[in-house]
Amino acid sequence: MHSIEIISTGVGLSIQDRGRSGWRRFGVPPGGAMDRCSAQAANQLLGNRPDAPVLEILLQGAKLRIFQDTWIALAGADLGCKLAVWSAREIKAGTVLSFPQNRAGLWAYLAVPGGFAVDTWFGSASVDARNGLGRSLQPGCQLSAQLREPNVSLDRVGRRLLAADQQRDFSTPMNFELLRGPQFESFTEQAREQFFSAEWTVSARSDRTGFRLEGPVLEVPDSIRSEPVLPGSFQIPGNGQPIVTMVDGPTVGGYAKIAVLKEADIDWLAQCRPGSKIRFNLS
Amino acid sequence: MPEPLTDFPCMNVRIRSYGERGYLLDTLSDTARLLVERALDLAPPQAYEEAVPGTDNLLLLFTRPIALSALREWLDQLQGKGSMRKPRSHCHEVPVVYDGPDLKAVAQATGLSEAQVVAMHAAPQYCVRMMGFAPGFPYLDGLDPRLHLERKASPRDRIEPGAVAIGGSHAGIYSVASPGGWHLLGRTDLALFQPQNAKGALCESRAIFAFAPGDRLKFKPVSA
Repeated sequence: MHSIEIISTGVGLSIQDRGRSGWRRFGVPPGGAMDRCSAQAANQLLGNRPDAPVLEILLQGAKLRIFQDTWIALAGADLGCKLAVWSAREIKAGTVLSFPQNRAGLWAYLAVPGGFAVDTWFGSASVDARNGLGRSLQPGCQLSAQLREPNVSLDRVGRRLLAADQQRDFSTPMNFELLRGPQFESFTEQAREQFFSAEWTVSARSDRTGFRLEGPVLEVPDSIRSEPVLPGSFQIPGNGQPIVTMVDGPTVGGYAKIAVLKEADIDWLAQCRPGSKIRFNLS
Repeated sequence: MPEPLTDFPCMNVRIRSYGERGYLLDTLSDTARLLVERALDLAPPQAYEEAVPGTDNLLLLFTRPIALSALREWLDQLQGKGSMRKPRSHCHEVPVVYDGPDLKAVAQATGLSEAQVVAMHAAPQYCVRMMGFAPGFPYLDGLDPRLHLERKASPRDRIEPGAVAIGGSHAGIYSVASPGGWHLLGRTDLALFQPQNAKGALCESRAIFAFAPGDRLKFKPVSA
């Protein structure tokens, strides 16, 4: 029973859930939705378990055809879809959902009742294309929902909306409170001062493995013996420009880490578009 | 009365917090690291999620933030368990065709002949220090110091899986197609990472990865 067909994948379209744990020692990144909170919100709108597989839609261009009447929820970035973000409603068979323009944020999450029915790799359906994990999506692919109906009461309800205080606004400039990184003390006083006083710009050379930042060139301490790296770490390579490791990033690395994002803030950084200005202070 | 700590191999461990629910254990001797990893398998601390070995340290991740004192207590109770037997380590023989594109340059940089480079690379028994960079990529300890070279100034955009390489003080084998800056000496047919075997509910690491941290291996020159 297929409920959705992919007409176009646009800039980026993949299946994601909460990612995988327990395999970092073999070099398998945790992966999962770039903005877990929004992926959960999409699931919540349909009464799914929070980590049910969803479609992660990067920027504009994706087009999906709905085969059968089905409930669909949308959360995260506003990509100009006629189904309003942070809401769910029943979509009639034959409808084409498109995501024509990027209004706020980077990643949108589309959920179907029960989540998408897909295989798992290391216990997760999340796609990690570089490493051959997950089902890659092409135009023509058909996807099925686990359930016909959402697992919530829909009596006399045509539409569900996420509570206003749970909806996120990705259009305001972000200020992040960071934790000290494992090599915080190895950086000079001046480098630390610069790092926490500068305004940083999110680089266009950012992806699911890492977000690069542009700003003042930081003085870099010696590289370290390779050690485990967690998502949200601010690594400073030789060029003095930070790379924030994201969920598909390598599990070990040899660059000194000046700071670490709080885990819940990784979601917020992930939604900062290239060109966004961000600032940091020390927790 | 707590026992004295003198023969406790973890006594000198330095602990640094990393993120909200991680701790890095530093200055662990190899024995202490084995002991800790073994204890994590048998009787892990509360809320333990996973451990990730680094070159010189070990990251412990928990499912939620835990107090440093709780981790200290857990480490302290390992005291006196130092006689625990080392787990049996797997030994592998890895067939290598030594026709890598950097063999000549490595010979030049080290002042050795190509045959000497091959012999020197194939001589030691290596140990998988840690895995990372990509799934299944082993960082191998035991490389002859005469072959320690800085990574290439401009990394290659694409290296095929199975490429046998050296970088810094480590030997390694590329496990998935990826960019990379190590010097390529040869190639092996051995599949280091088989993601198709990670599909489904039952994931058996030995069916997915050729190696695991702590394994030993030797390279065996073969003809193409």
